Amino acid sequence: MRLLIIGNGVAGVTTARYVAERDPSIEIGLYSREPYAYYPRPRLIDFVAGKLPLEELPQYDAAWYQQRHIDVQLGRKVTALDPGERCITLADGSQERYDRLVLATGARPWVPPIPGADRDGVHTLRTLEDAVALCREARQGAPILILGGGLLGLDTALALRSYGVDVTVVEALPWLLPRQLDREGAGLLQQVCEARGVRIITGDLCAEIQGNGHVQGARLKSGAPLQAGVVLVSAGVQPKIDLAQAAGLACNRGIVVDARMQTSDPCIYAVGDAAEFGGRVWGIIPAALAQARVAAAQITGHTETVYREIVPSTTLQVTGIALTSLGEVNPEGGDYREVRYLDEANCIYKKLVIRENKVVGAILLGDRSDLAAVNQLVSRGLGVSGVAERLLEPGFDLAAFVREHGARVR
Amino acid sequence: MSKWECLVCGYIYDPEMGDPDSGIEPGTAFEDLPDDWLCPECGAGKDMFEELS
Repeated sequence: MRLLIIGNGVAGVTTARYVAERDPSIEIGLYSREPYAYYPRPRLIDFVAGKLPLEELPQYDAAWYQQRHIDVQLGRKVTALDPGERCITLADGSQERYDRLVLATGARPWVPPIPGADRDGVHTLRTLEDAVALCREARQGAPILILGGGLLGLDTALALRSYGVDVTVVEALPWLLPRQLDREGAGLLQQVCEARGVRIITGDLCAEIQGNGHVQGARLKSGAPLQAGVVLVSAGVQPKIDLAQAAGLACNRGIVVDARMQTSDPCIYAVGDAAEFGGRVWGIIPAALAQARVAAAQITGHTETVYREIVPSTTLQVTGIALTSLGEVNPEGGDYREVRYLDEANCIYKKLVIRENKVVGAILLGDRSDLAAVNQLVSRGLGVSGVAERLLEPGFDLAAFVREHGARVR
Repeated sequence: MSKWECLVCGYIYDPEMGDPDSGIEPGTAFEDLPDDWLCPECGAGKDMFEELS
């Protein structure tokens, strides 16, 4: 069988790895637009912070692919796919046939339609090349404006502070990390970021990026002018569905897949940031890994393996701020309650969201020592009736509770 | 006790350090980590780790 995979990010490379492990007889071709072997995108933050040299970014080398008999084709953009003929077309016009195809095309940064967003000095951060370009400009010392106070925006803001430049983050919603934090946790995180020299503006939008050719500043919707020599847009990502859409595969926001990771064409799978399952595109590594595992199992004949929706979990990369958020942290509806613990002096905030006596979401800020236990509470759906209020009390041994209680449930 | 590297993000689990942030004591061998322990940097599971020689 000949399997082609489009995309050398975490979803594509992991699918290739699992397939190679499970069935070495399958011929695997892996195509990447980028000219580099696999590098973990979260590590770009470490590179931007100056903690990791460029040459150490790639996680695998040519030998890694070779050992697994993965025919990796770097710097080769796929321009079209033909599900009828089962073949893909490359930028140089050549065509390759497949029996099975995996679309791991990932996502691209979304840039809102702000006047001036096409000026020099406006950046996004997704690829190694983006990171190099951003660093080159950031080192000039001009103030940096970051549009979007999500994970990427904040991580990059803190990383860029290592150059000693002024960094301002503007978040449109009323608080930072709106997908991962509630208002209270975000307020505490904002204090921590400000203490590290990052200026934060929430509840405001960039109305215009100004300058004469190159960025010189920006005007916010509130009217406030900001000086900036560099603007980083970190307003989220957009699944890359162009190839799939042009080929007539079912797409919404992402490429629609079922629990087998199959698209509307049974010979074509989609995984990772490009794939939409159950109306959702998580855009996070744990989802990409779980989906890659399912696609690989299906392709190698283990058809009983299907995708089960993950509990989304995200962690801030920057050292010195421990933050993990998992599951539902801003629940809707009235059928839940929240248990909180706040130690403002030490910048510690924890919250558990409980529904039907089960923990369905958690925020751990400033202290992640309960992470393993909380993760088990959520992923195994252990009942917490009778003890819910005590779970976050300082003397309560959460790990022991999960051990004992979990054993009983088993 | 050997170190293990996350194939996804390059994080290295060092048993001498453990992973206190996730409640793992220093001195815990990789093999003794709970099955649902996750890479503290990217959230990958234990099966994404490779032993460093």
